[in-house]
Amino acid sequence: MTDEIRQFLFESLTEMQYSTDDIVDDTTLGPAGVDLESLGLAELAMRVEDRFGVRFSQDESEKFAAMTVSEFCDAVAERARASSAT
Amino acid sequence: MTSVAVTGMGMVSPVGTVVDEVFTSVCAGRSGLSRPPPAHPLHGVIEVAAFSPAIDPASVLPATEARTVDRSIVMALRAARDALADAGVEVGRDVDAHRVAVVVSGVGGLATLADQAARHSARGRLGVSPYLLSGVLPNMAAARIAIEFGIRGYVSSVGTACASGAQSIGEAMRILRAGEADMVVCGSSEAPLFPTFADAFGNARAIARDWPDPTTASRPFDRRRNGLVLGEGAGVFVVERPEFARARGATRYAEVLGWAATNDAYHPVTPRPDGSSAAQSMRLALRDAGLSTSDIGYLNAHGTSTKAGDAAEVVAIRSVYGSGSPPVSSTKGVTGHLLGASGMIEAAISIMVLRKGLLPPTHNLDDPDPACDLDHVRTVRTAGVRAVMSNSFGFGGHNVSLVLGS
Repeated sequence: MTDEIRQFLFESLTEMQYSTDDIVDDTTLGPAGVDLESLGLAELAMRVEDRFGVRFSQDESEKFAAMTVSEFCDAVAERARASSAT
Repeated sequence: MTSVAVTGMGMVSPVGTVVDEVFTSVCAGRSGLSRPPPAHPLHGVIEVAAFSPAIDPASVLPATEARTVDRSIVMALRAARDALADAGVEVGRDVDAHRVAVVVSGVGGLATLADQAARHSARGRLGVSPYLLSGVLPNMAAARIAIEFGIRGYVSSVGTACASGAQSIGEAMRILRAGEADMVVCGSSEAPLFPTFADAFGNARAIARDWPDPTTASRPFDRRRNGLVLGEGAGVFVVERPEFARARGATRYAEVLGWAATNDAYHPVTPRPDGSSAAQSMRLALRDAGLSTSDIGYLNAHGTSTKAGDAAEVVAIRSVYGSGSPPVSSTKGVTGHLLGASGMIEAAISIMVLRKGLLPPTHNLDDPDPACDLDHVRTVRTAGVRAVMSNSFGFGGHNVSLVLGS
């Protein structure tokens, strides 16, 4: 599951015109790393919600900025598991 | 009243991207009108349009934001960059960021809105970019100029359709005269070349058609004129309080001596036939400049090549100037009609008239309409001119007149 999310994240970032060349698992999504700004985070949230059938509140999606790639993938996977369990 | 100094000009137009090139084109009759190329969305929609050079959005914005930014904003950013460079200004170094204003206008990013509406129809919610609003709202050209160049004073736009460029210069003058800024970045940018907009103009019978040679389709004041030619482009000026420009050693192109705006209060799109409100705009602009009709050595007409619009403007000009009409031309025969941005391109052309002593002709004015009797400039004339007038009118009945001087 996490690998699938990771692949989807990289595809999304590429479509959003972010370079993925230097992104590794411990790269943060926000200013210090990928440099997703507020609308970029919103678009990423929109994409994962659609793809994996999950929901993130605005507070949660804004916290993506502080997450690393692996933390983000784990969070989405965790939410997907929780969603499918309910 | 106090004049203001024009110290920088930047533009994107169908006939050039620097003012000398634009002026050479309008004097030489080098047309910016062409058939839409096969790859353009307007191919097969309208017969002729005035296209400006392509600009890569990523050349003026981060690539991540460039995906959903309308071309009008891209052109505005390019023109603003060129205008500030032309004026030799770096905001924060040469002028306090809080003492700079921006008034850059236009109808907004309607093409991008239409594209996103189509995506929404096809894909639903997920078809719509979260960047849509920041890429299409009518204030975003001004706002993004402020962001890009760190301008922190008054930032706004005016919505007066095809009069918005000229009015932005007027509003800049108002701000500078009020002492609210030392410098204003003012202008207009328009990107109306997409099918919905073109069909709206066409269905309103406002678009030129049935011209075998596309370069002959825009023919202001000509007996056979049958509509305007839609165009795209941007013009941005840097204007300053004269004392401020002098103190920083800026080179002045010209001065804006006066301006005025009136409304027809008649019809949303049809001009008042007696031209009385347009005439009042011209009179008030002259009064604002402290000049009389005999001081005006050239008038750049709005002259879009529509039947009703050109005729009403002629009535207005004649009622103001009587038999002493200054030489008049409409440069839209070459440039097409860039909506609000026309006012900027035409103000730039008017400034070049002051500087070069050459009056550009009305291209395609082969057979002047007897209802449009004026002192038409039909071939380039040489004339020492110290003051000029430029008219811009817009849907909604907006009339704006600028008076510029050397």
